[in-house]
Amino acid sequence: MKNLVVSSSPHIVSDRSTKKIMSDVLIALTPAIIASVCIYGLYSLLVLFLSIGSCVLAEFLYNLVRKKEQTIYDLSAIVTGTILALNLPPVVPFYVPIVGGFFAIIIVKMLFGGIGRNFANPAITARIFLLLSWGSLMTSFVSPVNFGEAGVMGLFSYFENIVNPNLPDAITSATPLAFAKGALQNGANPLENINMLDMFLGKTGGSAGEVSALAILIGGAYLLIKKIIDWKIPAIYITSTVIFTAIFYANTGYAGEYVYSYLFGGGLLFGAFFMATDYATSPNTFIGTIIYSLGLGLLTVLIRKFSPMDEGVSFAILLMNIVVPLLDKIIPKPFGAPKKTVKDLFLKLKTKRKSKDGEVCSTAAQISNSSVPFVKEEGGSDGKK
Amino acid sequence: MMRTFRRGIHPLENKLTADIPLQEFPTPDKVYIPLSQHIGAPAEAIVKEGDEVKCGTLIAAAKGNMSACVHSSVSGTVLGIVQRTSARGTPVPHVCIQNDGRYEQERLNILENPSREEIIERIKEAGIVGMGGATFPTHIKYQTTKKIDTLIINASECEPYLTCDHRLMLDETDEFLRGVVYLKKAADAARAVIGVEKNKKDAYIKLKEKAAGLGIDVRLLKTKYPQGSEKQLIYAITRRFVPTCGLPSDIGVIVSNVHTAYSLCRAIELGEPCYKRAVTVSGGGVEQKGNFFIRIGVPYGYIYEKLRGNMVEDDTHKILVGGPMMGIALHSLEPVTTKGASGVLFLTDKEFYHEKETQCINCASCVRSCPMNLMPLEIEACILGGQEDRLEKYHVQSCVECGACAYVCPAKRPLLQAIRLAKQTIAKRRTK
Repeated sequence: MKNLVVSSSPHIVSDRSTKKIMSDVLIALTPAIIASVCIYGLYSLLVLFLSIGSCVLAEFLYNLVRKKEQTIYDLSAIVTGTILALNLPPVVPFYVPIVGGFFAIIIVKMLFGGIGRNFANPAITARIFLLLSWGSLMTSFVSPVNFGEAGVMGLFSYFENIVNPNLPDAITSATPLAFAKGALQNGANPLENINMLDMFLGKTGGSAGEVSALAILIGGAYLLIKKIIDWKIPAIYITSTVIFTAIFYANTGYAGEYVYSYLFGGGLLFGAFFMATDYATSPNTFIGTIIYSLGLGLLTVLIRKFSPMDEGVSFAILLMNIVVPLLDKIIPKPFGAPKKTVKDLFLKLKTKRKSKDGEVCSTAAQISNSSVPFVKEEGGSDGKK
Repeated sequence: MMRTFRRGIHPLENKLTADIPLQEFPTPDKVYIPLSQHIGAPAEAIVKEGDEVKCGTLIAAAKGNMSACVHSSVSGTVLGIVQRTSARGTPVPHVCIQNDGRYEQERLNILENPSREEIIERIKEAGIVGMGGATFPTHIKYQTTKKIDTLIINASECEPYLTCDHRLMLDETDEFLRGVVYLKKAADAARAVIGVEKNKKDAYIKLKEKAAGLGIDVRLLKTKYPQGSEKQLIYAITRRFVPTCGLPSDIGVIVSNVHTAYSLCRAIELGEPCYKRAVTVSGGGVEQKGNFFIRIGVPYGYIYEKLRGNMVEDDTHKILVGGPMMGIALHSLEPVTTKGASGVLFLTDKEFYHEKETQCINCASCVRSCPMNLMPLEIEACILGGQEDRLEKYHVQSCVECGACAYVCPAKRPLLQAIRLAKQTIAKRRTK
């Protein structure tokens, strides 16, 4: 017998891997991609390929220049590229996704240490960067292609805009959220002139991947079933947005209509399932996740109602992403730790300066459960520091 | 309703030997009985070269209270005390005995209707330790002065591959249940509960049927790892938390393993000390997998040669004592069976993992799977970054080393190794 492997336990691991998780996310994004092609034609695929291509190329070049191990095979750059493309308006000049892709990967992801280390969601940050750089391009949304009129040729609509940054007014369309904003100022019904079913299916103006609530829900359900994402984030984010919308818009008399419009008309569903759940930028603990998701809901509604912008999802997610390191400072109590009462808190405050007393386990309970040989710890740490 | 604890994981069960009844295993010409098979001080040898011993002769006496007696597992002549490496790789004195093949018995006196004190004394005499793998001397556990109301028998056997407790419950049901009755008396507990995982439903049904008249409760638990961890098992059954630095007896509970109860029954009714145990031999490297009663002190190399069959020797690349989640990897075939070895697995390349670790993606799967509610990814970050002050905050000493974090990690990071290192780092800082 030769070549015996000696290593410490555990000796088996699950078949989950970073690559598998990323490919599952890509599968979950597929319905939204299909929907965007069905609604806006093949131009959205072009944007998608440009975005993915620039993300992968950026990561490849970064690793090449920094002489690091190549990391593009974990598919995370493709995920970032896809999410970024689906976040853009359906028709943007070719350089927009390219700049966005490079910004997302190099500035937001790789400079901070690559996968898992980014401080904010790369796709969202890139989207906001593009929004600040090309405000009008990033807010002009084309109308869905009328396939009834254009037939198969409709698939090739908008290709003339590949370099032209200025879309003619004739083909632009207001998003449901822009309607809602206008309605708020006029005191009108936000769903006036809008077909509610079209809005759910995505036949309306908006970002390429965000318009079809149906497609996003299918993808989101896939992620939840495969347990790729934490169900608490989308569940609490969406619920709290609904509740806060109902509260903040109660005085308009159209609270129900606003809720519908905010739920299916903007980027809420896409953000809740695909962007707020980004592993690196969401909290690691139960309590942190709850605060994070509630904060997302509140900020989304506040921005949508009180800022001049129509949409608030990306800013809400970016802001809460920045809070996450703080939320991760909340360390949960281990199993079996005594429950803290208000009295204990006072005692803790009093004694905090005197000594830093940690728990010392030298008891048999600790040892009988552990596989390390018996190591006796000498006494506590009281007064020894 | 099936009970369980919070979090945890579902590893592939691979209980390949669940349907194979227990059989006696042959014993080689020479056995090597280690003097340290338990937690605490090693036993002191009381035999010397040339002494004649029988099966069950006391060959090493417990030294101090935190120790356990060791008995001969064969009859024959003592060849001397030799140093051999244990499964952990440390040198341990072993008593080497030449087996004369006659297996003459030396029994303790048979006890009838023993009192609590007599039972505890018998546990000590018979050298019974926690046979689930922890090998904590059992008599110390039962000597507690605290009021115990519940005795829990750990029959969850949550490790993949292992089936020896399962077979023991099926094949030796009566002896096991009588052992539980004795343990209940030793603990002076009002009730005894046997916690069985759902994947052993046949054992559950059989026990339920027979235990009804004995005042023993049998509970079905969800199949989840680490259900057999003491604190998790207590929580699942009683909804009580073992305090962070406490013992189960602090909350009125004592937990013992199936095999401990079985060994106790034999020690009381037959006077047979603990010198053999049920062992699961499994894995792709052996042809004749199964559950065997193997005497203490049989080298693993002998077991391998007996059961290998037509398997190619070089295909076995990892040998584990215990299960694949918490077991110890052997460096050679030299170590011998001990009281705590519930299984030996001969694994081929396909059966254990080789993946290289990649960067942590911060998915927090480890946090969501940790039965102790710790944050393995942060602990690892502290260890890698040398942030010892920050490490103090993460309750590292609570870790039960079940390995759930490392199992679920998609980046295959060695989280448990990091936690073990963190435990040592903290212990060092505290003693400074």
